[in-house]
Amino acid sequence: MKKRGNFLFIEKNDDVYTLSMTPELQDDIGTVGFVEYMNEDTLNVDDTIANIEASKTVIDLASPLAGKIVGRNEVAISEPTLLNSAKTEENWVVKLTNVDEEAFNLLEEA
Amino acid sequence: MDQDARLDYLIDYLLKDNEKMKQYKTDTVDEKIALFRALCNIRQPEPISEQFVKVQDAFLTQWNNERHVTSLHDLEAIQPQLYLWQGDITCLAIDAIVNAANSEFLGCMQANHQCIDNIIHTRAGVQLRLECDELIKAQGRKEPIGKAKITKAYNLPSNFCIHTVGPFIDQRGVSPLREQLLASSYYSCLALADEYQLGNIAFCCISTGEFNFPNQRAAEIAIQTVTEYIRDTRSKLHVIFNVFKDEDLQIYQTLLARKE
Repeated sequence: MKKRGNFLFIEKNDDVYTLSMTPELQDDIGTVGFVEYMNEDTLNVDDTIANIEASKTVIDLASPLAGKIVGRNEVAISEPTLLNSAKTEENWVVKLTNVDEEAFNLLEEA
Repeated sequence: MDQDARLDYLIDYLLKDNEKMKQYKTDTVDEKIALFRALCNIRQPEPISEQFVKVQDAFLTQWNNERHVTSLHDLEAIQPQLYLWQGDITCLAIDAIVNAANSEFLGCMQANHQCIDNIIHTRAGVQLRLECDELIKAQGRKEPIGKAKITKAYNLPSNFCIHTVGPFIDQRGVSPLREQLLASSYYSCLALADEYQLGNIAFCCISTGEFNFPNQRAAEIAIQTVTEYIRDTRSKLHVIFNVFKDEDLQIYQTLLARKE
């Protein structure tokens, strides 16, 4: 199941929720030149996941869901333009667990 | 030292770092002020002598107060806690004025550029750039859009400056993300003002100038965000919408009258 929130896609596979870039977000920010993840593993709604510097903007990505980070797209640190890719396996940002399924269900359909 | 002598001293000091600026004419006071402003605008955030700051502060205090300074008492609320005022934001003597900054966060560095970031930094004094430089260095990265940072206002009649970077609108136009980021800029400034227990704050029309946000939509977002913030947080903040252009005055007058 796939949802969207805070200009990110959220894809649920069992208990793991993968957050990735939406085409709208990619178009708005331009070519990504720098990615820095926050160190905290626990996120609340609207907490910053990562700082991004792109050709058109400098932006903090805010989490649409509360949860625990179990994976970060570390490759994007050395290769930031992966976040401009159209493929989820390249443009994903973080993977979360301990997400309230009810909160996920309430998000907008992707 | 009178104003003229102060200007000569300040220009002389700053020209030592910028020999090429010597070509500027300095026959009249206005030309001297333009050169002084230009030199401050392009100056990197490097340490400065105490003597310079002393003379600069004396000059700016007089220069800033030669104008009519407006405080909250001079204004009449158009709605509870909301005010509309047209003029130069650096003439306000209130708790905090909002500066439309950019992600570099050091203030406008184009000589004599006619933007709000430029005039705020010019009239506040060189200390403002030094404080912004410390903040942005401590952060270790550029300032994201939609956040806010507070500094002292130095020689401005107000007490604090709250700096926010609004969204930039390119040929693709306004998007939901950019609208949300503009709202976020307003929200972040309000939250910071309350965190510092300020009584009042004046917003410029964030993102509408150099950043191309359409004036009407920007005003709608500004008023909606402030109104919702006050309602949801029960904030006691008094909020001044500061407009500069007649176009913005019209837009805000219409929007604020309609909501009555």
